Amino acid sequence: MQNNISSDLWLLIGRLHPLIVHFPISLLWVGLLLECIAWRKKSDLFQPALAVILWVGTISALLAVGLGLVLSNQEEYSGNLINLHQWSGIATAFLSGLTLYTFSVKENKSFRLLLFSTVIGVSVAGHFGAQLTHGENYLSLQNEKVKPIIPLNASLQVQELTGKIDSKQKQDLGIEARNILENHCFECHSVKKSKGKLRLDALEYMLKGGEGGPAIQIGYPEKSEFIRRIKLPASHDDAMPTKGKRLTKKEIEILEIWVKQGAPWPGSSVKSVQSAIEPKEITEEKSIIGNEISNEKILAVSEEPISTPAALNTNQIQELTMNVRSILAHNCYSCHNATKSKGGLRMDKKELLFKGGESGPILVAGNVSKSEIIRRIKLPAGHDDAMPTKGKRVSKEDIAMLEYWIQQGAPWAAGPEKSLYRVAELEPRLPVVPGPTANLNHPIDLFVNAYFKKNKISWPKTVDDKTYLRRVYLDITGLLPSPENIAAFVQDTRPNKREIWVDKLLVNNDGYAQHWLTFWNDVLRNDYSGTGYITNGRFGITKWLYGSLKNNKPYNTFVKELISPTKESEGFIRGIQWRGTINSSQSTEMQAAQNVSQVLLGLNLKCTSCHDSFISDWKLDDAYAFANVFSNKTLEIHRCDVPTGRMAGYGVLYNSLGKIKETSITADRLVQLADILVQKKNGRLYRTLVNRVWAQLMGRGIIEPVDMMDNEPWSQDLLDWLASDFTANGYDIKRLMRQIVLSKTYQTPAVGLKESQMLTASNFVFRGIMKRRITAEQFADAVSQSFYPIYTDSALVKKMLPADFKNDIPFARASLVKNDAFLTALGRPNRENVSTSRISQANLLQALELTNGNKFNLSLRKGAEIWAQKYTTGESLVKALYLKALGREPNAKELSLAVKYIGKKPSVEGIHDLVWAVTLLPEFQLII
Amino acid sequence: MENHWNRRTFLQNTSAATIAALGLGSPIASLMAEPTNELAKKMATADTVILLWMAGGMAHTETFDPKKYTAYEKGMQGDRVLSTFKSIPTALDGINFSEGLESMASVMDKGTLIRSYVAADLGHILHSRHQYHWHTSYEPPQSVAAPHIGAWISKELGPKNPVIPSFIDIGQRFTVGEAEELKAFHTAGFLGNEHGPFMIPDPSQGLDSVRPPVGMNMKRFESRNQLYNNLISQSAHGEFGSDYQKESLRRSMEQAYILLNSPESKAFNLSTEPKEKYDKYNTGRFGLGCLLARRLTEQGARFISVTTEYEPFVGWDTHENGHTRLAGMKKMIDGPIAQLIKDLDETGHLDRTLVILASEFSRDMMVEGRPDLKVQEQVKQPEILNDIKFYGMHRHFTDGCSILMWGGGVKRGHVYGKTADERPCKSIENPVKIDGIHQTIYQTLGIKPETQYEIEKRPFYTTPDGKGKAVQDLLV
Repeated sequence: MQNNISSDLWLLIGRLHPLIVHFPISLLWVGLLLECIAWRKKSDLFQPALAVILWVGTISALLAVGLGLVLSNQEEYSGNLINLHQWSGIATAFLSGLTLYTFSVKENKSFRLLLFSTVIGVSVAGHFGAQLTHGENYLSLQNEKVKPIIPLNASLQVQELTGKIDSKQKQDLGIEARNILENHCFECHSVKKSKGKLRLDALEYMLKGGEGGPAIQIGYPEKSEFIRRIKLPASHDDAMPTKGKRLTKKEIEILEIWVKQGAPWPGSSVKSVQSAIEPKEITEEKSIIGNEISNEKILAVSEEPISTPAALNTNQIQELTMNVRSILAHNCYSCHNATKSKGGLRMDKKELLFKGGESGPILVAGNVSKSEIIRRIKLPAGHDDAMPTKGKRVSKEDIAMLEYWIQQGAPWAAGPEKSLYRVAELEPRLPVVPGPTANLNHPIDLFVNAYFKKNKISWPKTVDDKTYLRRVYLDITGLLPSPENIAAFVQDTRPNKREIWVDKLLVNNDGYAQHWLTFWNDVLRNDYSGTGYITNGRFGITKWLYGSLKNNKPYNTFVKELISPTKESEGFIRGIQWRGTINSSQSTEMQAAQNVSQVLLGLNLKCTSCHDSFISDWKLDDAYAFANVFSNKTLEIHRCDVPTGRMAGYGVLYNSLGKIKETSITADRLVQLADILVQKKNGRLYRTLVNRVWAQLMGRGIIEPVDMMDNEPWSQDLLDWLASDFTANGYDIKRLMRQIVLSKTYQTPAVGLKESQMLTASNFVFRGIMKRRITAEQFADAVSQSFYPIYTDSALVKKMLPADFKNDIPFARASLVKNDAFLTALGRPNRENVSTSRISQANLLQALELTNGNKFNLSLRKGAEIWAQKYTTGESLVKALYLKALGREPNAKELSLAVKYIGKKPSVEGIHDLVWAVTLLPEFQLII
Repeated sequence: MENHWNRRTFLQNTSAATIAALGLGSPIASLMAEPTNELAKKMATADTVILLWMAGGMAHTETFDPKKYTAYEKGMQGDRVLSTFKSIPTALDGINFSEGLESMASVMDKGTLIRSYVAADLGHILHSRHQYHWHTSYEPPQSVAAPHIGAWISKELGPKNPVIPSFIDIGQRFTVGEAEELKAFHTAGFLGNEHGPFMIPDPSQGLDSVRPPVGMNMKRFESRNQLYNNLISQSAHGEFGSDYQKESLRRSMEQAYILLNSPESKAFNLSTEPKEKYDKYNTGRFGLGCLLARRLTEQGARFISVTTEYEPFVGWDTHENGHTRLAGMKKMIDGPIAQLIKDLDETGHLDRTLVILASEFSRDMMVEGRPDLKVQEQVKQPEILNDIKFYGMHRHFTDGCSILMWGGGVKRGHVYGKTADERPCKSIENPVKIDGIHQTIYQTLGIKPETQYEIEKRPFYTTPDGKGKAVQDLLV
């Protein structure tokens, strides 16, 4: 009892808040008024009055804050609004204190500013308070007046209602329950607004429920969602109501009993209840489509005078339409499209956009102020109606564009819709090579020259012999040039020696295959270990790949054999099969579609294998039609893993390339697909390939990322020419490489970037070859070659390699061993997914592996033992090491530092440490 | 890849006019705007996470959710057996554990017990797939490499102490069966290797990972580093200009040197632990893993996983002799985990450290997978038990599992959810799924639920489609 009395007393005290708040509001306003007059008249006549007003105003503000806090603790309010009100109130009280202080110390300037702020504050706080008591729309004239709270029936005895009750009691209970719902829920869940698609203003609606299912289960309060939600603590995400007062214990109890007693609704039918609330009868259908609004707001029929739009011509309308569609696509499609039409609204089709959603049309052509879409995108982020609900707000420019469009009568370009996204040309194109200049005659250089001219870039010098030789060795065979080769090359006086040496390297078929195997393993997701092998759910293609590279298989044949495979090359399209249930977007057939399109066509189908893409024009059906070609049984189209009941057809993504003739034999379809894709007219296939090779050799693609071939190239001409040259000359990858490495462009000094992100930035400007870091495999091989083998022959994956490969390896090359912690740390990907570029940025885990990892250190130790025997003086050892590792003699300072460290008679430990240091020098790690 | 939550969007979202009008800074502004990472971080209740991983499927009815005990008799009906251990009381009234977990029972007043975790149904009930799912919250396979939860935490929060790797994984060797399947989720995926796990397969050898290579003393280590720096300054790197590859290499080498040379690295050396304490933890690799986790937590680790280690048919993966083997498993975990909680609590670290114990799914004697869904049986289990080796929970059960949490803002002495007392002993109250568990962990760390990165132009969220919701009832 004691408790009850004191809590009632607190409640009473709290409820004085609405009374007290009016003091600071009016007093502070009057204060401001007096001060304004005094200031205008330059008189201090009002000073004494002002003092009284400010004192009383401040004290009452503080008092109001205190009482407000008591009230909010006594009656459970929740939501943003109460927080806003509370903090703005507290801030105002604080400000008024400051105002009073500055007034007392006669800081006139600050005083006026503060007084002004205080008055703003008190008004804002008052406004929020009024919204709390009178509803959020109390100021708005358009909306109907907020219904007063319906008082509860105090005489209702809850205890008496729990047992068997008669019809009169049922009637009373029903009225009471409906009143409680009306007081707390109708604001958001009734004819006016049906948040979460839920209405609570009739039993039928409650049963039907909203997005989260039925709101009520008659007879079972514990299974009724609305009961669960109103009982949740205010902080819970699901708690209801989300704003305003929480329900009292008694109210909840009444609702529970009401549900238990069969949820008797006052009156006999929905209709009568509805008519009690709304004069107009509303059928369910209407409430869903919202016709009652659309009747008044038919397109272009408006009561407001329409500003006469300026006449736009067809082109302008086309452009405006594209702009509008682009704005809608970026800001709205993700929730309002074919897959996810929130609020029943789709904006990705003209008719649907104009039709609107559940709450009626979203725009009135010619009338900006009546267009719901404009109202909503202009609302502040926190507002309930604000759009978009997630992601960035619509920019001011975009809003202006939409307003202009509506004002123009929302014109829409006639004819088929143009794509919003950049789509690259499919057909090949052979641009004319610009005429030769005094210094340039290589086609690549002439295209680059045109680009340089346009971008006002002057040609840098060509790199020296040593730099060039290291580059081509690492790029073609993945190995370092030996000191002897460097010397011979430097001494070679033939004017075309670079060409001669490159040709020499290119005929090293095994060296080439062993190096480029790494790149193709990443790209084709081929590895010697990994998931899937354990259950025969994955197949390696190493033998086929190694042979294809060694024989420089023409790329069109290479692609054909991947798509329409033999036993040896089937691993690529077979994908990785995990046991158990797989998301339908990850079926092996869909993996084939995704991987073929990504790797061979530079096209990302991953979004599209779940739903129509938001970032391109590709549709779910396109992805399925493509995947279906690989499938032994017809695929059912699944949208976001839910079956649609529709079966996939056959398609090759680009219809102009040809059609798959229907046949039940998968192998036949794959033959057709292979033939269709490798046609010369499929420019995309070959652009993708030349761009990948260019990116490997130059450190950056002409298009980046290399898997997004619809992006803009920095030189379309160069890309197109390379691809056409490639197909016109036997689809010969080595020839393509030769073209590139013999260009002057390849021989420019390497350009370094401050940040790795700049490499793929859209404003990238090409200035020459990029600085690169050697890969994990190149590093391991370089150490093996110049000092001591990192891997022994036992690490080689012999069974997976061609039978005679052993004759052709200089040592156990890192491309031929299973992945391990050392290679992983240095950036070799786990090849569960296609991986088309490596990160060349170092990190801590990598540095730890290099600093104390077993693999590396044990190799260095063993090597040091051998070198200690071989080199009897420190000087000879240091010179040999620098030559082998860095391709040059050490300078005097380096020699003395190194010799001092390892000793005149080199120690094993000293050698170990020196080699470690040298191989970690940027000079060793980078390809410059 | 672009982080979609940064300070700039925060400021854009905030109405500047409002702030100006009120003449007031952040309190109001932060209420008006959607919470940002900065704000979420301020609301964080934990800085460190320790995941104690019961690899191989830990039966809830034999551990933290015991049911009716039935002693073994030759020829008994298997379906009579719900628990093969007696129940013991815990520090919480009315809450029992299974025999053999007495020490953990005594610290249950410090944490929260979730009895209603429901593992996914992935067709086959397979350890590696379910472990992948638990650790990434994504079902394998995925079209881009999904990051481990430790990698997400590393990416979002970075290291707590710059010289301690932010994602440490203790106890798992990759020399076991299904190792490739394990590697598939022991990865930072598309977040990049730098957020990947720092693997310490054997905690007693933990020091080896952070000290100079074997056979190299500190003096030599320092002079080697000196030599490296001297040679760099001599090598013709000046003419190469500045670039990110070189800068990041030098920076990382410097960091590694500092870590290997730092006082914090002593934390990896378990031999400096007082003998008495050491013995309390020393039940083998797992126990010492708990000790290492505690020591690293004290030095500022961010995310540590300690596993009983997954190896097919070993550890919790009991396909026979379940009863006998579980007695051993409990001995392995009971003392060290209880000690870990006590120690962290005593030093106050528990307040900001979230400790989680979990397993990929549970086990049952009769039901494989889910009671209402037929999946392929993985274990031959006779209906009549004529040999004690069949006495135990040998089938894989997904519908009711226990997860324990301590510290870092979870309630003390709280029980959430319930499983049925009769077979199938499935979750019948407040079922929780993996995305809810992950989001709960993220919330304690102050990582926003909408956190996402754009990869290949698609958003990739911490939990699939950003849909998971933190279970608020677990949190203070």
